[in-house]
Amino acid sequence: MNTHLTNAIVPSRRDFLYGLGGGLGSVAFSSLLQADDKVQPSTPRLRPSPKAKSIIFLFMEGGPSHLDTFDPKNELTNRHLQEFSRSGEQESAMSSGKRYFVKSPFDFIKAGECGADICTEWIHLKERVDNICFYRGAQVESVNHPTACYHVNTGNQFGGDPGVGAWVNYGLGSVNENLPGFVVLPRSSYPQGGAANWSNGFLPAQFQGTPLRPEGSPILDLNPPAGVTRERQRSNLDLLATLNNRHLEQHPGRSDLEARMSSYELAYRMQTEVPDVLDLDGETKETLDMYGIGDSKTDAFGRKCLLARRLVEKGVRFVQAYAGNWDSHDYIQRAHGSLIRSVDRPIAALLKDLKERGMLDDTLIVFCGEFGRTPDNGLRGGGKSYGRDHNAKAMTMWFAGGGTNAGHTIGATDEVGGEAVECVHHIRDVHVTLLHLLGLDDNRLTYYHAGRFKQLSQFGGKVINELIA
Amino acid sequence: MICKMPERIFNLIVLIVSVHASSVAHAAEPSTGEKLFALKVKSLFAEKCIACHGDNPDEIAGGFDMRSRDVMLQGGESFSDEVLVPGKGEMSFLYLVTTRSEEGFEMPPKEAEQLTREQTWWIRDWISEGAPWPDETRVAEIQSKYAEGVIVKTSGGLSDDWTNRRYKPEHLWAYQPLSVEKVPETAHPVDWFIDRKLNEIGLTPAPVAQPRELARRLSFGITGLPPTPVDATRFEATATSDVQAAVLDYARRLMATPHYGEHFGRQWLDVARYADSAGFANDYSRPNAWRYRDYVVRAFNNDKPYDDFAREQIAGDEIDSSDSEKLVATGFLRMGPWEQTGMSVFRVTRQQWLDDVTDSVGQTFLGHALQCAKCHDHKFDPIPTRDYYSMMAVFSTTQFVERDAPFMEKENMTGFKPATEWTRAKIAAYQTQRKELNARVTNIQKQEAGDAKVGDNGLDPGDEASLARMDKNISRHTWEYDKTRPIAFSVHTGNTIERKNVGSRIDMPDDSWGKGFLEEDTILTGGDAYTRGGAVKPGPLSAVEQLGGMTAAAFPDGHGKRRLALAEWIVNKNNPLTARVMVNRVWTWHFGKGLAGNPNNFGATGKLPTHPALLDYLANWFMEHDWSIRKLNQLILTSATYRRSSRYENPETLDEKDPSRDFYTTYLPRRLTAEELRDSMLAASGELNRQVGGIPCRPDINLEVAMQPRQIMGGTASVYEPDPLPEQRNRRSIYAEKIRGLRDPFLEAFNQPGPDKSCELRETSTVAPQALTLFNADEVLDRALALAAKLTKNAVKNSTENDAAIVKQAFELTLGRTATNDELKVCLAHWAQATQEESGKRYDPKNISSSVKRTVMAEKTGEPYDFIEVMPAYETYVPDLQPGQTDARTRGLAHVCLVIFNLNEFAYID
Repeated sequence: MNTHLTNAIVPSRRDFLYGLGGGLGSVAFSSLLQADDKVQPSTPRLRPSPKAKSIIFLFMEGGPSHLDTFDPKNELTNRHLQEFSRSGEQESAMSSGKRYFVKSPFDFIKAGECGADICTEWIHLKERVDNICFYRGAQVESVNHPTACYHVNTGNQFGGDPGVGAWVNYGLGSVNENLPGFVVLPRSSYPQGGAANWSNGFLPAQFQGTPLRPEGSPILDLNPPAGVTRERQRSNLDLLATLNNRHLEQHPGRSDLEARMSSYELAYRMQTEVPDVLDLDGETKETLDMYGIGDSKTDAFGRKCLLARRLVEKGVRFVQAYAGNWDSHDYIQRAHGSLIRSVDRPIAALLKDLKERGMLDDTLIVFCGEFGRTPDNGLRGGGKSYGRDHNAKAMTMWFAGGGTNAGHTIGATDEVGGEAVECVHHIRDVHVTLLHLLGLDDNRLTYYHAGRFKQLSQFGGKVINELIA
Repeated sequence: MICKMPERIFNLIVLIVSVHASSVAHAAEPSTGEKLFALKVKSLFAEKCIACHGDNPDEIAGGFDMRSRDVMLQGGESFSDEVLVPGKGEMSFLYLVTTRSEEGFEMPPKEAEQLTREQTWWIRDWISEGAPWPDETRVAEIQSKYAEGVIVKTSGGLSDDWTNRRYKPEHLWAYQPLSVEKVPETAHPVDWFIDRKLNEIGLTPAPVAQPRELARRLSFGITGLPPTPVDATRFEATATSDVQAAVLDYARRLMATPHYGEHFGRQWLDVARYADSAGFANDYSRPNAWRYRDYVVRAFNNDKPYDDFAREQIAGDEIDSSDSEKLVATGFLRMGPWEQTGMSVFRVTRQQWLDDVTDSVGQTFLGHALQCAKCHDHKFDPIPTRDYYSMMAVFSTTQFVERDAPFMEKENMTGFKPATEWTRAKIAAYQTQRKELNARVTNIQKQEAGDAKVGDNGLDPGDEASLARMDKNISRHTWEYDKTRPIAFSVHTGNTIERKNVGSRIDMPDDSWGKGFLEEDTILTGGDAYTRGGAVKPGPLSAVEQLGGMTAAAFPDGHGKRRLALAEWIVNKNNPLTARVMVNRVWTWHFGKGLAGNPNNFGATGKLPTHPALLDYLANWFMEHDWSIRKLNQLILTSATYRRSSRYENPETLDEKDPSRDFYTTYLPRRLTAEELRDSMLAASGELNRQVGGIPCRPDINLEVAMQPRQIMGGTASVYEPDPLPEQRNRRSIYAEKIRGLRDPFLEAFNQPGPDKSCELRETSTVAPQALTLFNADEVLDRALALAAKLTKNAVKNSTENDAAIVKQAFELTLGRTATNDELKVCLAHWAQATQEESGKRYDPKNISSSVKRTVMAEKTGEPYDFIEVMPAYETYVPDLQPGQTDARTRGLAHVCLVIFNLNEFAYID
C-alpha cells in the first residue's frame, strides 16, 4: 500500500472476506480496508468456537505492585528492612546502592469461595474474586516505562508495531460501522511512549486505536469550530460532493476517489454517533452510583468503565482504559492506597454489570500494568517513605469473563515475590492466549510487511491453557 | 514470476556441478523417491518440521519424531501408523496435514510458513515412491549431481546446512554484477525498456497527460509544492509545441529552487528516520539534529554526488574531522530513537544502538534489513550471523559525541536570538516557581522534622512532584540552549565509555583512546548482549563481495578507520547493491512505486524487480554520470513514461493485462503526503514562509494536544508552545520540530510515518478522522480564511465579474487550473449564501493566556494536583488571520476555499 493507488483500483480479496467497510457505498468508521501489495493469507483465521467477542483491557499504567495488591508475601514481613542483595550483570540505578526488603503496608485476606489473596483496600473487588482468574506467572523484558508499555501493548518493546487491539480488529473486523473497533480511554495525560501504545503499526490505518479523550473534544476536531453551524457544514459538504462528483465523472472506475468521498459522510454521521455513546443520561442513577460516577475519587475511572461497557454493547471489539500512575517508588501506602480506591469500585461495578447483563461470558476483561514491582527498595525517608521499583520478572495480572478460568490463581512467584517461578510465561504467550480466547490463532493472524509475515507474538508463542476455563 | 536464468548463474551451477562430478562415480541411478528425498524433502523437513519434531529430543511435539524413517513409521500421538504409509502418499497424514485440510492439525502450524502446493506434492510423491531414506553419503551424491539452485560462498553460517544451502538464482538478483544492455542511441532508455515490456504483454500506453496535470505532477514531484499560476500557464504554452523540451525546462527550473532539496531531503529523511528528539521515557531534545536535516537538503540542492553523500553520512568524521559539514553528516548514524537513563543498563542500550545502526545502514544503503541475521543466520538471504557481527564490529568503536563544529556560511542562523530568549524565559519561569515552592516546602518540612509518619511527609500532594517536574524541565530546556550553538550531533572513533545516565550533551574526550575500553568484537549468540560467541573482525557482507565479483576488501580493526572502510566498500562501483538501491529510491519518489517494490529490501523476501534490465541500466548510468541525482532525475522526467496520463481509455484491458499496475501503462495517481498537503495550503494562501533551513520551527498544532499533559520520566513535559509570529510558524513542514513523543496530529492523520522505523515508501489511508481534520481543524480553516482574504483584498469592488475572477483564481492557486462554468456557478452561489449567513456574525479574537493551569497525577500520592505553567511564547503570540478581522464577504469565500482544500482533485496528483 502506498501513495500511488495501484491496488485501490482493484479491490483486494480481504475487502470481501472480512467485510470491513463492506461495499463502497457504506464505508466503515475507518473507511475502506485498502489493499496491500502483497496478498495476505486468506484462510479463515477463526477457531470454531471463540469464547470472547470483545476485550476490555484495564491498563494500570506505571506498574502496580503485585506485592501490595494480589500477591502477599509473609516472608517480606519477616525480612522487613533486612539488607537485600542482588546478583547478576544487569545493574541499573534501581539496583545499585544499599537496598532493603520492605513489607507491604496493607493487610490481606482470602476472599470469595475461591479464597483468592487480595489486600483489604479492594473493598468492592474482593466481592467479585470468584469471577476472576489471577495470574502470577507473566514476565516482560523491560524495566523502563515506555518500552515496557510498548511491550505489553504491542509485543515489541521498541514500539512501532500494531497494538493488540489493532490485531484483534484486523482479525475480527468491526461490528458497528460508525464507531472505531479499537477505542482507547486514556487519562488526560497520555502514558509514556504516547499514542504509539495504540498504534496500527504496519497494519492499515483503520485499525489504529481511537482515543476518546476525557476532556475537550473526545475525538480531535470532531465538531466544526464555533460559528459554523451544522447546517453550514452540511451545505459545505454538499458543495464538496457536487464538485467531487464532477471530478469523479472524469475519472471513472476510481474507487479510491469514491471511498474518500464516503469518508466525509461517515465523519458527518460520527458527529452525532460519538456524543450518543458518550452521553450517560440514559443510565440509571443506580448504575451511575455503582460505578462511582459523581464521586470525585472514582468519577474518572468510573466513567471509563461504564463507557467501556457501552462501547462493547455497541460492538466495539477492543476497549482499553488507562488508570494510574502506579509508579510508586516511595510512599506506596499513600499512593497505591489512593489509586486502589480510585479504580476498585468502578472495576467491581463493571464485573457486576457485565455479569448481570449476561455479557461477561463473551467479554474478556484484562487487568495489568507494564510490569510488577520489586520486593526491595532503597532506604528512603529513613525506611518510612518506602515504595518499590520496577520489576520485569514478576507481576500479577488478572482476567475475568471471556472463557477464562474464574476463581483460580495461576502461577506463583518466589518467596519474596521477586520473580515468577511457576507457570512462567513471556508476555507473548499472554498475547497468544488473548487471541485464542477470541477465536484467533496468533500463528495465522499474520500480516506481510517488510519482507516477512509478522504476528502479534513476533516469533510465535504458546497458549497458556491454565488460564482458560 | 518466470525468470530466464541469467547466463552467469547458469555458469556458476555448471561450475559447482563439475567440481563434484568426480565424486559421483560408483552408485546406481537414484530412484525418483531417492531424488525427491535428497533434493526436496530432506531440506523441507529440516526447514519446516525438525525444530519441533526432533531438534529437541526431550520435547518432541505430539510425540512425532522426524529424525529417521524408522521413528517416523511409528507415528506420534495422533494418527499413529497412518502418518507415514509407504507407497500411499495420498492417505498418509504426513501429507494430509501439510494440505491444511485436517482441522487442528495444520502443519506447519504457522500460516505464514505453510507449504506451497508443490511442496506438499513432494512429500506425497516421496511417500508414494516408498518413502526411501538414503544415507548422508548417498544424499550428498545425489545432491551434487542433481541439485538445483546455487550455493553461495559466504563467511560461513552457524551450521553446515546453512553454509551449504542453495538459493533460487532469481532471489540473488541484487547481488549479481550489473547487466547493462545497449540502448539504441535514438531511444530514450527509460522508454526503451518500459515500452519493450508493454509490447511483450500487448498493452498500448496511455497518451500524454494534459499540460496542466503535468505541471502539477512535476512541481509536486520535484518540490512538493503546487505550481504557481504563472508557471502552470507558461508550461501549458510551451508544452503544446514540444512537451519534452517543456518538461526539461520546467524540471530544471524547479530543481534550481531550494524547494527541490527540501522535498528530496524530506524523502531521504523518511529513510533516515529524522527527528528532533530522542524518544522513549525522557524524549530529550536533540538540539543539533537540525543541522543534519539541513545537510541533507543542501546535499540535494548542490547535487552532491551520491557516493560522497553516502561516505559522509557513514564516515564524515573519519574523512575530515575539521570540516563541520562532514561532522554534521554523521548525524545519520544517530537518527534512531535512543536513551540511557538511570533505569537502564548501559551495556543493553549500547547494544541496542549497535543493532540499530547496523540494520539501518543495511536498509538505507544496501537495501537489506540486517536485523534478521542478529540471532540466527538469515533465513532467506545469504547473510550469515557472522556477517552481521562483522558489520556491527565496524561500529563498535563509534561513539556518540556532540562535537564542536563552527557554523558555515551556508547555514541559516536566523531566529537564534528569539529561540534562546524563549528558552531563557521558560527556564526563568520554572526557577522562580521553584524558588517560591522551595521556600514554602522548607518551612513545612521543618515543622515535620523527625516525626514523619509513613506515607506522610507533610507536603502538599503536588509539591514534591512539582519540584521533580521543575528540575526535570529546567534541565531539559537547558539542553535546548545548544540548539543555537556551533555543535554537531555527531560521532567519533574511540573507546567505549560507560555512561549511567545521558541527560545532556556528551563532550569530546581529550583522548579518544584514553578512558573506557576497546570493545571486543564477537558474535553474540542468539542476539543476547551477554552471551559471547566466536570472535569476528570488522567486515562487509561476504555474499555481496562473492557474487558481485568485488575484490575482497580488508577492513582495519583496533584503532583504525573502520567506518571509512565500510563507506568505501559501499560506494565501490563494483558493489552491486549501492547504485541499484539509490536509483530505485529515486524512481520510487517519482513513480510512487519501485522498479524493485521494496526499496529497503532487495533480498529474497522483497519484491523482485519488474524491470531488472532498466534498473541495471539506470544504476550504471547513475555511476557513469558522477552519481548525480539531478541528472538522474532529468533522465527519468524526460521520458514519455513519466508524461503519461493517469487515465486509460480501456480500463478493462488494463485490469486484465496489468492488474497490479506494474508496467507503467499509465501514470499512477497519488495522494499528497501530509507535508505536501499542509505546505500547499500555505502556498495557496500566500502565508508560506519560504525560508530555507535553520533551527526547527514550531507551527500551530491542535491546541488541545499542545496543552495535554505529556508524561516523561520524572514528571510532565512542558506545554508545546508554537512560535509567536505567523512567519515563524508558517514554514515548510520539513522544518517543523519533530518530537517523537508529541506528533502533530494533522501530519499524523495523513500518514506521516513515525520516526522510529525507516520508511521506504509513504502509505496512504482513507479514514474518517482525515475528513474531520481537513474540514474542522483550525490549521485548515486558517488557511481557507487567509486564501479568501488574499483573493478579496485586491478586488474590493463587489461585482459579479470580480467575484467570478476571484473564484477562478482560487482554482488556479489550489488546483493549477481555472474553474469551469459549472463550477463557477455553484461556487458563486455558495459564496453568496455563506456571505449572507456570515454577515450577522461576530467573532471573538483568539486570545490565549500566557499561563495555563494543568492537572496531573502525583506519583507519590496517587492524587491529582494542579500547577500553573508559564508559556512565554504566548506573551508575544500573534495569531494567523482571524475571522473577526475580516468581513462577511471574505468569510463567505473562506467556506468555498475550505471546500476546495477538501476536494479530491486537491488531494490527488494525476
